[in-house]
Amino acid sequence: MEEKYIICEDSLEGIFTAIYDAYALREGHEHLHVQVGETDNYRLFATYLHSRPDSGKTEKVVRTLKERLGEHVYGSICRAASSDGADKGDAVYHTVVDGITGGHGERTMDNLRNPYVARAFALARRTANEVHHELEFIRFQELKQGVLYSRIGPENNVMPFVMPHFADRLSPEDFMIHDENRGLFGVHPARGEWYLVSGVEQGTAGLQEAIQYSDQEMEYQELFTIFHKTIAIRERHNRRLQQQMLPLRFQDYMVEFLQK
Amino acid sequence: MEVKIAPQMSLMDKLKILADAAKYDVSCSSSGSSRKNDGTGIGNTVAAGLCHSFGADGRCISLLKILFTNECIYDCRYCINRRSNDVPRASFTPDEVCNLTMEFYRRNYIEGLFLSSGILYSPDYTMELICEAVHKLRTVHRFQGYIHVKAIPGADPLLIQRAGYLADRMSVNLEMATAEGLREMAPNKHRKTILKPMRQIQNGIEENKNELTLYKHAPHFCEAGQSTQMVVGALPESDYQVMSVAESLYEKFSLKRVYYSAFVNVNEDKQLPAITAGPPLLREHRLYQADWLLRFYGFKVDELLTKERPNFNMAIDPKADWAVRHLEVFPVEINRADYRLLLRVPGIGVKSARRIITARRFGSLTFDDLKKMGVVLKRALYFITCSGRMMYPTKLDETYIVQNLTYQNQMGKGERLPFLMDGTPYRQMSLFDEGQMLDDTGNFVNVCSSKTTGDSRITDNSVITRDSRITDNSVITGDSRITGNSVITGDSRITGNSMITGDSKTEGVLYTA
Repeated sequence: MEEKYIICEDSLEGIFTAIYDAYALREGHEHLHVQVGETDNYRLFATYLHSRPDSGKTEKVVRTLKERLGEHVYGSICRAASSDGADKGDAVYHTVVDGITGGHGERTMDNLRNPYVARAFALARRTANEVHHELEFIRFQELKQGVLYSRIGPENNVMPFVMPHFADRLSPEDFMIHDENRGLFGVHPARGEWYLVSGVEQGTAGLQEAIQYSDQEMEYQELFTIFHKTIAIRERHNRRLQQQMLPLRFQDYMVEFLQK
Repeated sequence: MEVKIAPQMSLMDKLKILADAAKYDVSCSSSGSSRKNDGTGIGNTVAAGLCHSFGADGRCISLLKILFTNECIYDCRYCINRRSNDVPRASFTPDEVCNLTMEFYRRNYIEGLFLSSGILYSPDYTMELICEAVHKLRTVHRFQGYIHVKAIPGADPLLIQRAGYLADRMSVNLEMATAEGLREMAPNKHRKTILKPMRQIQNGIEENKNELTLYKHAPHFCEAGQSTQMVVGALPESDYQVMSVAESLYEKFSLKRVYYSAFVNVNEDKQLPAITAGPPLLREHRLYQADWLLRFYGFKVDELLTKERPNFNMAIDPKADWAVRHLEVFPVEINRADYRLLLRVPGIGVKSARRIITARRFGSLTFDDLKKMGVVLKRALYFITCSGRMMYPTKLDETYIVQNLTYQNQMGKGERLPFLMDGTPYRQMSLFDEGQMLDDTGNFVNVCSSKTTGDSRITDNSVITRDSRITDNSVITGDSRITGNSVITGDSRITGNSMITGDSKTEGVLYTA
């Protein structure tokens, strides 16, 4: 039978809508694929369909996933869909199909023999690992206005998972996290609800220059840099181990590695 | 009494001195406590703990690890802050400690505070200072992050109790594995005074659990438990002694963690060993591996070590060492073995064992599935079968397996050690050392100008280059590459996607795809 590809937007809403559309075709799932973003390598003898993100369809899919597969699996699916894997659309879609048709429920992600589930599991783990790293390695800098500001450059879209942690931890603070790779901002007003702002790439050109630190900021950066240097034991120096635990791509954003 | 503090010292200088003095304390974990923010201040705790940075020695930096003061009335031989040392001294004020903690925490530099101290005037006086600083941090600044404080041996039990209600974790350092060792190294400390607060904290945690079941909002006492640390390598104690002490601390004192600290000679005291090759890092590494086996893998110390074999094998890790000495248990069938037996297989950890158990409910597993689940097959393959088959034909023989496991180490691609086998920090190893790497039996994988004879087996992405000779019943499998003027003769079998190039000569060889 002919292979069919559903092309969707790179977002949770896009992928969930595509899953809805795939089910709506009622043609069986075997030859159906969900692809995130346009491909530049079209296949011969395959049909390409386009799916536009739709909040109504997304809501239905989310409700079904939570009911049939449970909150835990739903969380894993969201993490897989937020990863940077090019094949994430198909992995997530077929994992959902496997979980629902097989009636695996809360154990859906355990069926690692299924290659799609194994792939979705690996992608979800990738995102979860990077989220954990960002919780650890994000560095806030205090601006003149008293706002805490942080830049990050993650591979996966970690923002929706990072924000709740800091919203709880720093609830009396105004803070903002800026994902440079996606032009995405996570904003938290003191004691308020956090929200995401995207699509403001044009406005951020002069952002770095416009930033002014508070009077104390440089002093604490220096204090921490000194602490970071002092706490290492000379006889045990091991740069390789340090890099293994703290990859270089994070170090570019961390104050203790910037001042040499 | 006059306080012996240089009056006009900057915060920067104090931090330098008091962080430097605290760095030999190992514990830096921020795990074990899970608390939401209550809206009155900043901070929460995460059960898994978070490591906010890593120092140049590769150790995690999770907490602001400082001493309150490095003044000390004791004269412990191994300690940099001993009374008789001429080092710069400094003390924080409680406000300085609070401000540093709050400002570092807001910027996400740290997960909380680790406050220890030298003994200023008396244990009681010191413990009171610690309590005051932590109390201020919790009540005035409403700090709800992680706090780890030291219980000072000899301090009033009421002070220790007070600290326990403010902190997430407390610790008392055991320092030396044996009571005699402690007496020799730290003339002012005694085993008994160290164990007393440890017992008090244990009982406090136990009572607090009962309270919490009755009253949901009762204050928490050391929610993240207590830990301790031992110095290894300063005295001739054996690994068996160290691990036995650790085991009884876990069982009788319900400790959360025991830390091992490779001895660094900072004082050049004549009673201490001169350590020229650097601290015994490999030994420390093996102790930690064994510690994990005790806590998560269901091992007992007596299984790993005995009075006759009191020290760990430095060449292979304790679990592999146990496995090769208990080959009667193996091979283990992946699709049927219970969780406890799976955990005994080298290359299978807690996570992969759990994944195996849940995934095999859906159908039988293959080696490919195991690989995806995170099983380290190059270690596990000697000990497991999938549906009755081994991954490669291997021998269930102690010397054979040990050779293969340690050979991978020599190639720099076996057990991932953070340093070289002799314990010195890592240097890049040359993969293609010239010369023969043959052992007496000839059962060896080979590189470079070497001769492989006998029933050799060459597996798994091996690379054989230059003038090598492979003869007699050898089996070559996997994606091996053989290049240069190699000669392969005898009844050798070559399978898989192996490539043989160059002017190699092959005679009487059986090829299969």
